[in-house]
Amino acid sequence: MSVAEKKPRVIEPDSLIGKRIPKMDAPEKASGRTRYIHDINLSGQLYGRILRSARIHALIKSIDTSAARALPGVHVVITAADIPDQRPIGVARDHFPLKVGRVRSQRDEIAAVAAESEEIAEAALKLIRVVYEDLPVISDPEEAIKPGAALIHPEPHGADGTHLHLKQGTSIAHKGKPDNIAMTFDYVHGDVIQGEAESDVVIEDTFRLHYVTHCCMGVSGMIAEFDASGNLLMYSNTQVPFLHKREFAEYLNMDPARIRIIQPPIGGGFGSKLDIYPFEVICLYLARAAKRPVKMLFTREEEFLASPTRQPVLLTLRSGCKKDGTLTFRQVHTLHDNGAYTSWGATTPFVMMQTFSSLYRVPHCDYHTAAVYTNNPYAGSFRGYGNLQATFAIEQHMDMLAERIGMDSLAFRLKNAQDSGETTGQGMVFKSCGFKDCINTAAQRSDYTRKFKENEVNRSRPGNIRRGIGMASMLHVGGGAKIYPSDGCGTILKMDDFANVTLITGASEIGQGSETVLSQLVCEELGLPISAITVVNNDTAITPWDVGVHASRTTFIAGNSAIGAAKKAKTKILAVAAKKYECAESDLDLRGGFVIKASSGEVVVELSKLLRNLHFQDKAELVMTTFYYEPPSVHQDKGFKGDVSAAYAWGAQVVEVEVDTDTGRVRMTKVTGAHDVGRVLNRLGIEGQIEGGVVMGQGYALTEELLIENGVMKNPNFRDYKLVTAPEIPEMDISFIESMDGEGPQGAKGVGEAPAICVAAATANAICNATGVRMFELPFTPEKVYRALHGQTPKLYWKPWRADQ
Amino acid sequence: MTEPKHYFAPTSLDQAVECLKDGDVTILAGGTDLTPQSQSGKLRIKQTLMNIRRVPELTGITLEGDEIRIGALTTITEIMENALVKQHFPVLVEACDHFASDQIRNVATLGGNICNASPAGDTLIPLLVLDASVELASMPEATLYRHSMPLSTFFVGPGKTRRSLCELVTGVRIRVPGPNHIAHFHKLGTRPALDISTISIGIAGTLKEGILSNVRVAFGAVAPTPVRASQTEKALEGQRLDAVTIGKVAGIARDEVKPIDDVRATAWYRKEMIHNITKRMLSHVAQA
Ligand SMILES: Cc1cc2nc3c(=O)[nH]c(=O)nc-3n(C[C@H](O)[C@H](O)[C@H](O)COP(=O)(O)OP(=O)(O)OC[C@H]3O[C@@H](n4cnc5c(N)ncnc54)[C@H](O)[C@@H]3O)c2cc1C
Repeated sequence: MSVAEKKPRVIEPDSLIGKRIPKMDAPEKASGRTRYIHDINLSGQLYGRILRSARIHALIKSIDTSAARALPGVHVVITAADIPDQRPIGVARDHFPLKVGRVRSQRDEIAAVAAESEEIAEAALKLIRVVYEDLPVISDPEEAIKPGAALIHPEPHGADGTHLHLKQGTSIAHKGKPDNIAMTFDYVHGDVIQGEAESDVVIEDTFRLHYVTHCCMGVSGMIAEFDASGNLLMYSNTQVPFLHKREFAEYLNMDPARIRIIQPPIGGGFGSKLDIYPFEVICLYLARAAKRPVKMLFTREEEFLASPTRQPVLLTLRSGCKKDGTLTFRQVHTLHDNGAYTSWGATTPFVMMQTFSSLYRVPHCDYHTAAVYTNNPYAGSFRGYGNLQATFAIEQHMDMLAERIGMDSLAFRLKNAQDSGETTGQGMVFKSCGFKDCINTAAQRSDYTRKFKENEVNRSRPGNIRRGIGMASMLHVGGGAKIYPSDGCGTILKMDDFANVTLITGASEIGQGSETVLSQLVCEELGLPISAITVVNNDTAITPWDVGVHASRTTFIAGNSAIGAAKKAKTKILAVAAKKYECAESDLDLRGGFVIKASSGEVVVELSKLLRNLHFQDKAELVMTTFYYEPPSVHQDKGFKGDVSAAYAWGAQVVEVEVDTDTGRVRMTKVTGAHDVGRVLNRLGIEGQIEGGVVMGQGYALTEELLIENGVMKNPNFRDYKLVTAPEIPEMDISFIESMDGEGPQGAKGVGEAPAICVAAATANAICNATGVRMFELPFTPEKVYRALHGQTPKLYWKPWRADQ
Repeated sequence: MTEPKHYFAPTSLDQAVECLKDGDVTILAGGTDLTPQSQSGKLRIKQTLMNIRRVPELTGITLEGDEIRIGALTTITEIMENALVKQHFPVLVEACDHFASDQIRNVATLGGNICNASPAGDTLIPLLVLDASVELASMPEATLYRHSMPLSTFFVGPGKTRRSLCELVTGVRIRVPGPNHIAHFHKLGTRPALDISTISIGIAGTLKEGILSNVRVAFGAVAPTPVRASQTEKALEGQRLDAVTIGKVAGIARDEVKPIDDVRATAWYRKEMIHNITKRMLSHVAQA
């Protein structure tokens, strides 16, 4: 071997941030190799199925399971009577997994079977005889809230008819309710009476938002197994494993330490897996009784019938402004159809009131919600969490107010849009704020102002196609939301002898691409290629605590946590290297898998070699670090005020449509979006996130609707529940406003929910621009639009429910 | 899903119709109606499930004299790609182009669409305005018996036809149209693809010197079966397509149909659409 003169090797600076990096799980998913819960089978496993109510609202007079129990292959049949220790579940603890004495909605669970095959389980369900006594169905929340309405959760009475007056603190499932009001929210800042007095123009309208559902490609499922010592292992699709571990423990009356949750890859979440549903607890009961693993998977029809929906809302908004375009006040009343039981949908006012109080400068705001029980399906959390509904009303009023004062709608928005440094009436502090940039960018790139005027002129032209353009903006939390005692996330990071990293994070992957972004952030710190990392994120026995995937928080919170752990590792590595090579730590850096000289990029030592030295020769040490990140946000006070998120995301979208006045069909031709995302981390990932969100918003605006009549779902299938299909997806032009948030990981803010929020509102404005007709009710299906164009839609009016208003 | 006792996949027409003799047989072609219907419990699979996809006599598109025969097993995709169909019946291609999705079209058969007898079946409307007839085969004794009937008399109600339980639909026959023949189809749904028709319209006839004759009009999804619209046809017969006539005919069409409310649309909207789309289609014919 000849000894050639060696030039020192130099590693050029490079960065992973902002690059287009394919999602790490993409090859597996695209090639059909991913093992979802549907693909997992445990030996000895039984199959669970649930018998749901044949009635909407009825007393259960008797249940006969004898024939089902006698069917060969059936191991367990359970009804409420078989589970004396049932605890009430749900956000308001207002129902039992297996219903006791009464059914209140179509999805209600009456009995469950575990059998050797799905077919046997299904056959057994058919053998169960239930005798009902029908009760009047209440499917209209306006009826349900009236004094004297029949009660969905009546207070229990003794055999002699006397009121039992159960003690305070007992759950609703036990003690019932004297009325149908599940929850109320009241928020105020400023004084709307004064605001109204200062207004030159005041408008009031009622808006109706409909039922849609998540339509996850992977239907819901669970596998539960108790081991010989009574420990519970669950394969679950939950988005919130750590909180749910506690909650399951409560429902089963067992020690949370004995529960382990493994999350197989999830075929879509979008918020639907944020609550615990009866089927999950029932699956646990079955596994406990059968002493065998039990797998329970929904059919597609069941997925429609028994999954949560987006919160339907009836909303009356009164708003005003001055002639110069200054917004003066907003007064809002909403009626939330709570369905038969309370899930997260009832709590969407947390987000809705933020939008009403703080999207644009609003000096005076008064907000009220009542969520009322009905016999309808119940709503859960769904990407946007009330914000689509709130934005739909507000952004239509922005256009309407502008029109009334004769001001250009773009100028009107800009006049009221906030800048960074402002604090809103609700106490939200906008540290980074690219709001005006979003509005301007979306308007310019779509040629909004010119087209808006042109379309108005063209309305009177002959022909059946009318073009329209409409805008809407949005504000959403972008740095977590401090709802629970902690909004944090933990990370464990370990490096092996080959400088490969294992990132163990509490943050769940639900398809949003968090694994890839977290890997990028870690590799960026450690100067490693993305191929050097493995992510472990799906086992509560291994991963550190995280509050769950919601509120667009994972990139921000888990990202900062991952960076924290990586920084600690880097500090340790550089300290070791500095000592070994006798220089200052600050002279060194990590790049391309090497320790280098920070000034020149010259290689000092291969990182893997240094790690091996550390492990085997020097100190017998490994590089393993942990970090827990808690965002600097605060809890809201009793009046819902406070800086609840560490950062806020902004966006503006312009939607262009063609309306066929012969048929009412609306074709969405283009969406121009500008989103303040703090900073783009994975460009490919964020583009996908925005595009997917826009399409979800498009379905909400135009085609999707769960049709509920008297509590009965009319279209629990993909034939009649119309998702947007590929040919309908509009052209998209997406810009990213990089406001470089000071607290965000590499400057980034959350964007998971943002892209879905504006679409329906902007579409409503576009239809109005095209036709001159305003639509207050979603979705804009051909028939609805056609009716509106022909003056066949009575003006919606809902008088707020409170006697004192 | 109900489970059949026997499964049979005949390889000749004789075997297939022989099997049908005992009556308790469910016929499987592409399965795109059968599968969802049996899953949902709407349809019960009988004792024997007979897969007819290996019967050669049920395939192919051929010119026989002045008629074109399309075998019952021909898939929607095959129809769309066939040169004879493209040349003589572009209206059928048009309808197939709005049928379901690529995946469904690759397996869904013409015979299945006909026998499923949905009022919204998309090939039925163009077939009706093309005066197609249905070929049936059975084996009452020991030999094969074939006969045919006009498609316009074949449908009795949703999912119900004049086919007896021991008959197999083997294909359709359509006379090659003469000169000056025109035919148009329009399907209206919520979305451009993968949708069941809210309404559909077929219009055909001979257009000579601005006068329309031999008029055929058919409507889908406005009655228990796909229907020919005799009053609309009468109003159009021998007429010149000027604005007044078109307006009048569209009104007659609206009054002629008796649709229902369902999850897809109300009766009112369907009637409006029959009016507006009939008008639009006739205007296009007039302008062409
Ligand atoms: C997602 C989806 C989308 C769809 N979209 C459309 C659409 O846009 N337009 C539309 O018209 N339809 C649509 N359909 C319905 C269906 O695809 C068509 O009706 C199709 O033509 C049925 O053909 P098949 O070969 O699959 O029939 P199968 O399901 O095999 O059979 C249908 C019925 O006909 C009987 N049958 C079949 N062949 C014969 C025969 N030769 N003789 C006697 N009886 C027979 C069967 O016993 C069964 O009762 C859709 C279906 C799905 C699942």
